[in-house]
Amino acid sequence: MPESNLQPPPGRWGSALAWVLVLAASVFTIAAALLYEQNRVGDRRVIEIRAQAPEKGNFYPRRIEVVAGERVRLRVRNVDTVGHGFALPALNVGIAEIKPGEDAIFDLTIPEHGSDYEFFCTVWCSTEHMQMRGQLVALPAQARR
Amino acid sequence: MFRTDRVLGLMPLDWRLELTRYPVVRRLLKSRWMPFLLLAFNLFMFTVILMAAWVGGVGAGNYNFGIMIIWILWWVVLMMILVPGLSRFWCTVCPLPLVGEWLQRLTLVGVRHDPKQGNLFAGFKKRWPKSLSNMWVMNFLFLGTTFFSAFFTTRPVGTFVLLFSIIILSIVLSVIYHKRTFCLYVCPISGFQALYSNFAMTEVRVKDPTICRDHKSKGCVVGNASGYGCPWLLLPYKFTRNTYCGMCFECFKTCEYDNMALNLRPPGTDLLVDENRHLDEAYKAFIMLGIAVTFFMSMQGPWGFLKDWVNMATLPGYFAFIVLHAAWCLVVIPAIFLAFVWWGHRRAGPSEVPLKKAYINFSYTLVPLGLAAWVAFSWGIILPNGSYLFHILSDPFAWGWDLFGIAHVPWTPVFTGLMPWLEIVTMVVGLLFSLDFAYKLAVQTYREPAAAHRAAIPMLSFLTLATAGLTWLFIG
Repeated sequence: MPESNLQPPPGRWGSALAWVLVLAASVFTIAAALLYEQNRVGDRRVIEIRAQAPEKGNFYPRRIEVVAGERVRLRVRNVDTVGHGFALPALNVGIAEIKPGEDAIFDLTIPEHGSDYEFFCTVWCSTEHMQMRGQLVALPAQARR
Repeated sequence: MFRTDRVLGLMPLDWRLELTRYPVVRRLLKSRWMPFLLLAFNLFMFTVILMAAWVGGVGAGNYNFGIMIIWILWWVVLMMILVPGLSRFWCTVCPLPLVGEWLQRLTLVGVRHDPKQGNLFAGFKKRWPKSLSNMWVMNFLFLGTTFFSAFFTTRPVGTFVLLFSIIILSIVLSVIYHKRTFCLYVCPISGFQALYSNFAMTEVRVKDPTICRDHKSKGCVVGNASGYGCPWLLLPYKFTRNTYCGMCFECFKTCEYDNMALNLRPPGTDLLVDENRHLDEAYKAFIMLGIAVTFFMSMQGPWGFLKDWVNMATLPGYFAFIVLHAAWCLVVIPAIFLAFVWWGHRRAGPSEVPLKKAYINFSYTLVPLGLAAWVAFSWGIILPNGSYLFHILSDPFAWGWDLFGIAHVPWTPVFTGLMPWLEIVTMVVGLLFSLDFAYKLAVQTYREPAAAHRAAIPMLSFLTLATAGLTWLFIG
């Protein structure tokens, strides 16, 4: 018989290192992603608008309430299988086309004089295209909590 | 070409290159950090995949990290490289059953061992029912998942549901049942790797059987302080086929005599191992071939109505898809195959070989062909869609990140002009291997050369016709 060739398993430090790696790969990864995103966005409120052709759901939400003076990040996500555009002309915000699966991000500060701002799709996306629109409703600054 | 001692008339069937004779490979496989470090990396990847699939919501999946990594990168690498090249190496590094295994072992990288009791495990340690100790559950589960293929492969939340369900199921079964019961008998991904790994160019085998014969303590089975007894409930010293070996490399760690080897070998040698061949494995071959055809027709074919059926556009259409797809995989392909085997069986003349035995034996000829069909299908995934990977690596959660400065690389199909040629070459290579093994299996089944020749002709015809049909489908 040849000689025994067994290797001992990792000791206490090895086990500790394994735990560090597992936590880093799971919990810390999630925490790091969330912290990084929070740091990137800063004090802006992130508002996600999902874009689909009107017969499949239209913009969602179609009515968004913001507060005059508020700093917001609009993330328009095209969850459809056709391209859509996005325009919010009163606030000088827009993009010609957001391809399927892609998103567009706009950072803006809502003007102090509250008003309703219409947004709409700018790509002929379906026969119902003209119905693909929504409203950004700016509430007076007193509404801020 | 048709020599029984060589693959494709070129490589001797018994040729082996023992990779573990290189000290660096041997040390690597004996270390408990292998595969732990790879698993930790994949745990990181799957954490990101699950998170991206969750926050990606119900949207289109082409810019989602979960969808892209699983269905564009992982599936293609699995079918093109891992299974044909490295056998079940994916099972080595698969993070899905990790939590279940850690709950059993109550340690991440160490070994809980008592000299009297052997390896220590938590949980109920039940034995899986004998009647289910085969591939049938995996066959039906995998076929069942394909009923929802549009949901799983195009909706991020679908990918999340699929992966999370597998994780939860693995944890539950690991608490109830012994060792890797989930991987061995339930995991839907495991079954096709098990069958197709018979074609792989690597294997884990014993170096010198006489050492194992004289070695009484059998650490590779019962475990010892350096490692666990085979988690896949096998007897490593008796390995003859790759089918159920999950390549966890525990037997390298527990073998006191370094008697386990990782070998390079000619492709397909296990297809000729006449041991534990059963109808469940034959059906796995039929189902995999059937799914390859259905997937190609619904995902890459020009038939819009079929896409609508699979996408659940209407309920009657969706039910029609389920019924036809199930019938195609479970009835039509097996029946056509049976007709050709029966034809060959009759041509072989009177023999003591039962038709069922010939049917099961010849079903292994579908392994190279089925794998080739999946590789050909994979060309149609990676070449047109691979460029999406740049975007999602840089912006994994679609939050507008650009970690590596490649988030805005546009969708750019590459070498799609070459795709038909790659698919043709792939199918022809698959056919050559299938023909070669069909002849060898005929000789093995019927023994008498003249009878084997006669029986092989219908099988060679079937394989050629099937390849022609698949090639027409891919490039037509």
